[in-house]
Amino acid sequence: MKKSASLGLSLAFLALACALPLFKDIAPAVAGPYPLSLARSIFTYMALAVSWDMLLRSGQVSFGIAGFFGLGIYGSALAVLRFGVSPWLSIPIAGLFAAFVALLFGFVILRLRAIYFSITTLALAEIFRIVLHNGGAFTGGPEGLFVPNIISTDNTTLYWLALSGVVVALAASSWFERSKIRFALTAIRNNELQAKSSGIGIFAYLLLAFVVTSFVQGFAGAILFQSYGSSSPDSAFDSNYTLLPLAMALLGGVHSTLGPVIGAVLLGIVAETLKLKIPYGHLVVYGIIIVLVILFMPNGLYGVWTKFARRRTAAAAAKEGRDGLS
Amino acid sequence: MLVSRRAILWTAFSAAVAIAILMWKPTVLVYGLERAGLYAAVAIPMALVLGIVHIVNLSHGEFMMVAAYATYFSARALKVDPYVALLPVAVVMAGFGFVIYKLTIKRALKAPELNQLILTFGIAIALSQTVNLIFTGQSWKMSLDYVSASMSIGQYDFGIYDFVFVVAAILLAGGLRFFLTRTRMGKAALAVGQNAKGAAIVGIDVDRTYGFVFALAVGLLGALGAMFLTKQAIFPGVGGPYTMKSFCLVAMAGVGNITGVLWGSLALGIAEASMNGMRELRDWSSIVFFVIIIATILVRSIKERTA
Repeated sequence: MKKSASLGLSLAFLALACALPLFKDIAPAVAGPYPLSLARSIFTYMALAVSWDMLLRSGQVSFGIAGFFGLGIYGSALAVLRFGVSPWLSIPIAGLFAAFVALLFGFVILRLRAIYFSITTLALAEIFRIVLHNGGAFTGGPEGLFVPNIISTDNTTLYWLALSGVVVALAASSWFERSKIRFALTAIRNNELQAKSSGIGIFAYLLLAFVVTSFVQGFAGAILFQSYGSSSPDSAFDSNYTLLPLAMALLGGVHSTLGPVIGAVLLGIVAETLKLKIPYGHLVVYGIIIVLVILFMPNGLYGVWTKFARRRTAAAAAKEGRDGLS
Repeated sequence: MLVSRRAILWTAFSAAVAIAILMWKPTVLVYGLERAGLYAAVAIPMALVLGIVHIVNLSHGEFMMVAAYATYFSARALKVDPYVALLPVAVVMAGFGFVIYKLTIKRALKAPELNQLILTFGIAIALSQTVNLIFTGQSWKMSLDYVSASMSIGQYDFGIYDFVFVVAAILLAGGLRFFLTRTRMGKAALAVGQNAKGAAIVGIDVDRTYGFVFALAVGLLGALGAMFLTKQAIFPGVGGPYTMKSFCLVAMAGVGNITGVLWGSLALGIAEASMNGMRELRDWSSIVFFVIIIATILVRSIKERTA
C-alpha cells in the first residue's frame, strides 16, 4: 500500500509539474519566466538527488555525483561538436556514455566499501575534471566548449526538457522501489554478509545501481548543457552538484523516491531566496541542514511523515480492536 | 625475515629513485621534501583522530583554513607576525574543536559510519561557507620577507623557508609518540583507541579522552593554519584539498602508523615535484595525487581480502 501511495504521489507531482507552464498567462507569479527558470534548476538538482539516493539504498555513499554529471555535459557537447550528432539525440547518448564509464570503473571501485568507496568516487570526479581540463583542443581545455545554437530558445520547451530528466530519475527510482531490486539493495545495506548468504549477487546489484544512477546523472548533465549551450571543466564538475543533491535528499528523507523530491523543492526555493539576499556564503545553510538532519532527523521529513502516518494507522487499528471487543 | 627483506628492497628502491632524481634535477628533491613536510604535518592530526576517536573527519582541512583566517585577521589587527599569533590561535582552535566535538561528533559516535561521514562533510561546508559569508571569496595573503629566504649549493638556488614544515612534521610525529607512550593522558588515549569498552572498564573516562584528542588535533591544525598562512594565499576553499590529501596519506599508511604517514608524504611530495619539474607534464601534476589515492585504496582492499 505504501509503495503504490508513493508512486501515486510521484505521478501527481509529475502531472502538476508538467501542467505548470500552461498557467503562465493566468498566474505569472508561479508560472512566469522567472519561476520556470528556477524550476529548471530545481529539476536538475532533483534528478541528481533522486539518483544519489538510489545508490544510497544499497548503503554506498557516493561523493562523485558531479563527476558523472560533468561527463554527461561533456558527452553531449562532444557528441554534437565533434561527431555531428543531433542535439536531441546527444542527451541519451551522453547518459549512456556516463553509464559506460561507470560500468568500467564500477568493476573495480564497487569492491570498496564505506569511506573508501566515497573517497574514491570523489577522486574519480577530480580525475575526470583534470583530464577534460588538459584535453587540449578536443575538449576545449580550461575554457570549455560552447554550441552556437541551443536546443530551443523557448522557455517552456526548455522547462519540459529539464522535467524529462526528473521523469527519467523518477522512473528509474520507481523501478528500483517496485521490483526485487529494492529487497536486494536493502538487504545489502542492512547486512552484507547475510545478504550474500541468502544468495543475493551483491556485486551485480551494486553494479546495476551504480550504472543506472550514473546514466541518470549523465542525462541530467546533458540536458543542462543543451539548455545553456556552454560549459567549462570548472563549472561542469562544480562541487555544488555533489553537495546540493546530497543535502536535498537528506532533508527530504533518504531511501525513498519522494524524500529527495520534497527536499529538492524546499531547498531549491530556500537557496534561491537566500542567494538573492546573500551573494556569498548562502550555502552555509546547506552545511547546517546536513548537520542538523544527521543529528536530529536521520530519516528526513519524509521519514518523520511516514512514522507519523504509521502511528496513526496503528492507533486507528487499536481503537477498532477495542470497539470490536466491547 | 620476509618482512625485513621486503623492507630492504623498498629502501634500496627508494634510494635508487632518490639518487636518480638527485642526478637529474636536485631542486626537485628539495621541493618534494618541502611539500612532503606540509602534507605530513597536516595529515598527522587526522591520523590521531582516526586512530583514537575512529572518526574520519572530513572537515579536517577546513579547521586549518579557519585557523589561517583567525591568524590573518588577528595578526593584521595587532600588527604582529603570524608566528606570534600561532600559540593563541592554537589554544582558541582547540577550544573550538572541543565545542564542535561536544555539539556534534559526540552525538554521532554510535551512529552508522556513513552518518558520521556525512556529518563531518556538513561541518566542512558550514565552516567554509561561514568564512565565505563573512570574508567573501576574496583571497588574502601576508607579505612577509623572510619566506623568500633562499640558499644556493653549487649552481642550484632554492627556497629554504618551507623547511619549517619539515621541522613541524618531525616535531609533530615525535611529540605525538612521546605523548602517546610517556604521558598519562596519552596512554589513556591509546587504550581508548584500542578498545573503548575495555578502557572504560579499567576506569578511563572515554568521553573526556575523545574530547581531549579531538581538541588536541584541532589545536594542532590551528598552529599549522598559522604556519600555512605565512606562505600561502588563503580563501574559503583552501582547506578542502588538504582533507583529501590527509585522508589519502592516512589510508595509505594504515590506521595508527605515523611513520607510514611520513613516508607516504615523501613519496607524494617528490612525485608531484617531479611532475612540476617537467614542462610538458606540469598540467598533469594535480592528477598524480588522485591516481595515487585510488591506487593505494585498491591495493589496500585487495591486501585485506587476501589476508
